[in-house]
Amino acid sequence: MPTRLSPFILATAAKCIGCRACELACSAAHMQGGVSVGSLSGPLSPRLYLMRVGDICVPVGCRHCEDAPCAAVCPNAAIYRTENDGVQVDENRCVGCKTCLMACPMGAMEIAQIWKHGKPAMRRVVDPSNPEDLQFEPALLASKCDLCRGREAGPACVQACPEKALDLVDPVKIKKRRNLEAALALSGAGARAGGEI
Amino acid sequence: MTDLHQIVSIDPKLCTGCRRCAEVCPVDAVIGEQNKAQTIDTSRCVMCGQCVLRCSAFLTPFDDQAENIAQIRMERGLPEDDRSILFAAHFRNDCGKVAQMLADKSKISMVQCAPAVRASIAEEFGLAPGTLTPGQLAAALRRLGFDFVYDTIFAADVTIMEESSELLERLESNENMPMFTSCCPGWVNHLETAWPDLLSHLSSCKSPQQMAGALFKTYGAEIAGKSSGHIASVSVMPCTAKKFEAGRPEMQTTGTPDVDAVITVTELAGMLKNKGIFLEQLPEEDFDTPLGLYSGAGTIFGASGGVMEAALRTAIAVTTGNEVSESGVVFNKTDEGVFRASMEVAGRKVQAVIVSGLANAAKLLDEVRAGKADFDFMEVMCCSGGCVAGGGQPKLLPGIDIEDAILRRRQSLHNHDKELPIRASHRNPSVKALYENYLEKPLGHLSHKLLHTSYGNKSGGHE
Repeated sequence: MPTRLSPFILATAAKCIGCRACELACSAAHMQGGVSVGSLSGPLSPRLYLMRVGDICVPVGCRHCEDAPCAAVCPNAAIYRTENDGVQVDENRCVGCKTCLMACPMGAMEIAQIWKHGKPAMRRVVDPSNPEDLQFEPALLASKCDLCRGREAGPACVQACPEKALDLVDPVKIKKRRNLEAALALSGAGARAGGEI
Repeated sequence: MTDLHQIVSIDPKLCTGCRRCAEVCPVDAVIGEQNKAQTIDTSRCVMCGQCVLRCSAFLTPFDDQAENIAQIRMERGLPEDDRSILFAAHFRNDCGKVAQMLADKSKISMVQCAPAVRASIAEEFGLAPGTLTPGQLAAALRRLGFDFVYDTIFAADVTIMEESSELLERLESNENMPMFTSCCPGWVNHLETAWPDLLSHLSSCKSPQQMAGALFKTYGAEIAGKSSGHIASVSVMPCTAKKFEAGRPEMQTTGTPDVDAVITVTELAGMLKNKGIFLEQLPEEDFDTPLGLYSGAGTIFGASGGVMEAALRTAIAVTTGNEVSESGVVFNKTDEGVFRASMEVAGRKVQAVIVSGLANAAKLLDEVRAGKADFDFMEVMCCSGGCVAGGGQPKLLPGIDIEDAILRRRQSLHNHDKELPIRASHRNPSVKALYENYLEKPLGHLSHKLLHTSYGNKSGGHE
């Protein structure tokens, strides 16, 4: 069992202008390609979702819950918590049953085409015209924020946001800083720095 | 619904109103409130496509609009095999038109490629910015089915012949000075819409795209043994405004458009991929001669400052007899996007200005309008950095250092110039042959008919 709180990506609605650069960068980070949109190999499938309510807009994504409902309800044990990378999906175990999608309180889970090594993950199905044979088709599997696991520069969305509205939050560090700020405030040394998370 | 006649549009269904496009519009043509769909003021828009490059509002499979993908594609006039990502800001797609032209066996197809295309198209195939692929580009166009794979750079060399002669003539007569370059259609559009009283300063030269088109349907048709009506003339450009330029009514030398269709770098890359042609896997091939043979001078047209440098190489040679590979003139930055130098041409001191980025031209134009301009020749490129940064170039992903990518594309054009055996336009043997066998001389009767025009008459029809 992981012993520390999972990091997660937090968006500040007050800063978000709704440009969707985060969604674009996220999609690109999960597929093979180069520097340009045209170099991407296939349809885009973001793992955070810009929501709009009137003039408010903000991307919503996985909070990497400590007691993750998606992991708890997965009948195939395809969703699990890790020590450093939050809640992850093992696509090899996922069957696309959508139970996680129903359980997620954030709406952060999608069932989507997953790309592995530059190709869509495939599934076997029985050929309806010839029940003896199998067909292969792109699989629709659980898809959610994986904190850009393995990406050296960290989460692509955080890096791409032109308004710096996204942060990779480490709860342990936040707690320490808030404690420090509170201590300083109590001593009369100064108010909270504010602004950053 | 997208207006198919409009070259650059913003789809109200997909626009989220972030207004990042308004930040990059050099003429404040993007109109709208924050969080509301934006519109383009077409009376001001110069069609440079910078908004298209900047826009990141795209249709994802999880959007409410996703079920309308087929309809949106149809509204945009996209070919059926087009699978490109749908962004709010977009330009008119002409791939279907080009595919039809290629399929029409009654026509001979001729294609031209702007210099900046070879410095960027590799990015659409996963390679790093600044990867130079002229040979593969020629091969790819041949695989796509073009009968003659020609090059805009050849016409850029011809532009230098005409434009440097024009400059010398204007210096002599001192009329309509200072002279402005006319290669960049965004700049020409801006002058027509915002500074119409200064149009006489514009060089009468058509842009290299239009010179190439006019030569394809005359000189090129002769070489191919066909009449102009049997030539399908296509150009591949780094620029969205080139689509507008090709459609201008005065750009019809032989009764049909000199350039029948214009596709951008991204459109060409899409067409190649749909046909299973992978640029990076192709062998290097040469462009066809004579209209595809080019010099280093024409090559650097794709980078801001290049037209000036190319013109100087030829002007120095013609007026001093000193054949130089590089003019040696150093331009110094005097303002944001403005570079100046003075030099000696034809026995007199000439002050030259290079403007990179349309928004940086206003102060200088005010001086011209007030009769206080202290310069003789001005090159203006609408996009900062030149055509390497054009609106038809590969759209870079968020998080990619755009300035660095543009710098690399510029550098690769300059490297290409250095590695070419002939580096001045007037020494291009195909250009020499064109004048010897066909045009006679720069600014001659036939040059005037084919290669020059006047801007700003009723043609400035922005929809």
